[in-house]
Amino acid sequence: MALTTSSPATQTFPTYLARLVRDRLHNSWKSLQWAWLDTVCQYRRSRIGPLWETINVIVMLLGLSLVSSAIFGSNLRDIVGYVAIGIIVWSAIAALISEGTMSFVRNTGYVTSSTLDVDLYVGRSVFKVFITFAHHVLVYVLGVAIGFVPIGWTSLLAIPGILLLFINGFWVVTTFAFICARFRDIDPIVRNLLQLAFFVTPVFWNYKAIASDRMFIVDYNIIFYFIEIVRSPLLGEIPPLSHYLVIGCVTVVGYLIAWQTYRRMRPRLAFFV
Amino acid sequence: MTHVRLRNVNVRIPVYDAQALRLLRLPSFGQAKVGTNTASRDHGVLVMHALKNIDLDLSEGDRVCLIGHNGAGKTTLLRLVAGIYPPDTGTVSLQGEAFALLGGTMALNSDATGYENIRLMATLYDWPQDAYAESVKDIEDFTELGEYLSLPVRVYSAGMHARLAFALATAQAPDILLIDEGIGAGDAHFQEKAQQRVQQFVSRARIMLLASHSIALCRAMCTKALVLSKGEAIFFGDIEEGFKVYAGHS
Repeated sequence: MALTTSSPATQTFPTYLARLVRDRLHNSWKSLQWAWLDTVCQYRRSRIGPLWETINVIVMLLGLSLVSSAIFGSNLRDIVGYVAIGIIVWSAIAALISEGTMSFVRNTGYVTSSTLDVDLYVGRSVFKVFITFAHHVLVYVLGVAIGFVPIGWTSLLAIPGILLLFINGFWVVTTFAFICARFRDIDPIVRNLLQLAFFVTPVFWNYKAIASDRMFIVDYNIIFYFIEIVRSPLLGEIPPLSHYLVIGCVTVVGYLIAWQTYRRMRPRLAFFV
Repeated sequence: MTHVRLRNVNVRIPVYDAQALRLLRLPSFGQAKVGTNTASRDHGVLVMHALKNIDLDLSEGDRVCLIGHNGAGKTTLLRLVAGIYPPDTGTVSLQGEAFALLGGTMALNSDATGYENIRLMATLYDWPQDAYAESVKDIEDFTELGEYLSLPVRVYSAGMHARLAFALATAQAPDILLIDEGIGAGDAHFQEKAQQRVQQFVSRARIMLLASHSIALCRAMCTKALVLSKGEAIFFGDIEEGFKVYAGHS
């Protein structure tokens, strides 16, 4: 099996790497525009557009804050900010995973009739989630204005947190998109687990309140770290270095998995969808 | 030099199917007749032998129509050349950039307007920025869609859809153009324009592969024919002789 196209026969590794990175960045820019068009089209006939998702978040956070403060006996005012940021980050993570499972299946038309790079479809999904996420900033601004959420220099640390979150989004979407295109049973399983993950992850309950012998459900939960590197700086705490170390490892391992999946499944993708 | 070279290429398409494990026994492909010369089982997966031992050499200026019955492997061959399907064995080598216009309705975003779709294509396929206005003008002229280009694509008729898709596919003069029934739609006037546009391409010494059941269309646009039957190439050469082989074969 061989497929050759016109390309310089020999290229050194650095030039290869430079081209690889340049192409990925270029494709990211293209897929951002694509995702933007998708968002515009989807909400064309809606008055407030993606802000409906933001209203969703607000309704969710009010309800969950009420429940959470009732169960854990904490002051509603103290917990609203915590829950709000938790839900915003969680909804981005959940959307990345669930968009990811459908990423290639939804682009069947392109996959079976064009030779566009697959990272365009991946980027399309990731940036769609990012655009929605960006609308949720409004909730944060509201929180700051009302005084539920503190603001300070530490808050800026949330920016690398958000970046890390979406950088990881690319490998998550790539991996799930390939596997779910090939094995159609994975998608319902993932959706199922996602629901469970919402309750297991400290999104609307404070992890400091759980019994120390059960701490493992937080410690071994990768999603928790992604929420914390955004949430704690926004609440005025500097996240411990260990959080960043965990995420660094997850990023490296994740990209290795995505690369392997790509290498094995990319040639046959048109057969899957 | 633009060329397409296929050497002893076989394409086997797996048909994935989850057997059992379902409470309701849905009709499954598990019972499909296998062991014939077009399908077999490989580790439990049904495999269609879509193309068998294809050898093909195309060079600049070749305009080839693919003829054959439904399921003879025309679309598969186009997908193979485009690089969408990998060869199972054999080699595929291309010199030049291939562009496929498959399935007639290119994946246009139906909620976006004609102009937005043009913009999207320009972005995805890296059309040169400085010539963008020119390309748009060209598409406007060719499609004659006028005001419709500002409306969402979902309100277009099939013919209008085909016009826009064809204009987009041919906007950038790819080296190797692959068309699959794409211009079957559209009225006589459009057919004529489409042919002119393709002639322009070919005059710039490119390669075109066209799969169509319309003999008139093939005759107007192509000079050579490749006759496929059950995945095998049974004739490659002059178009008129190709028609004879095809007629005699069926």
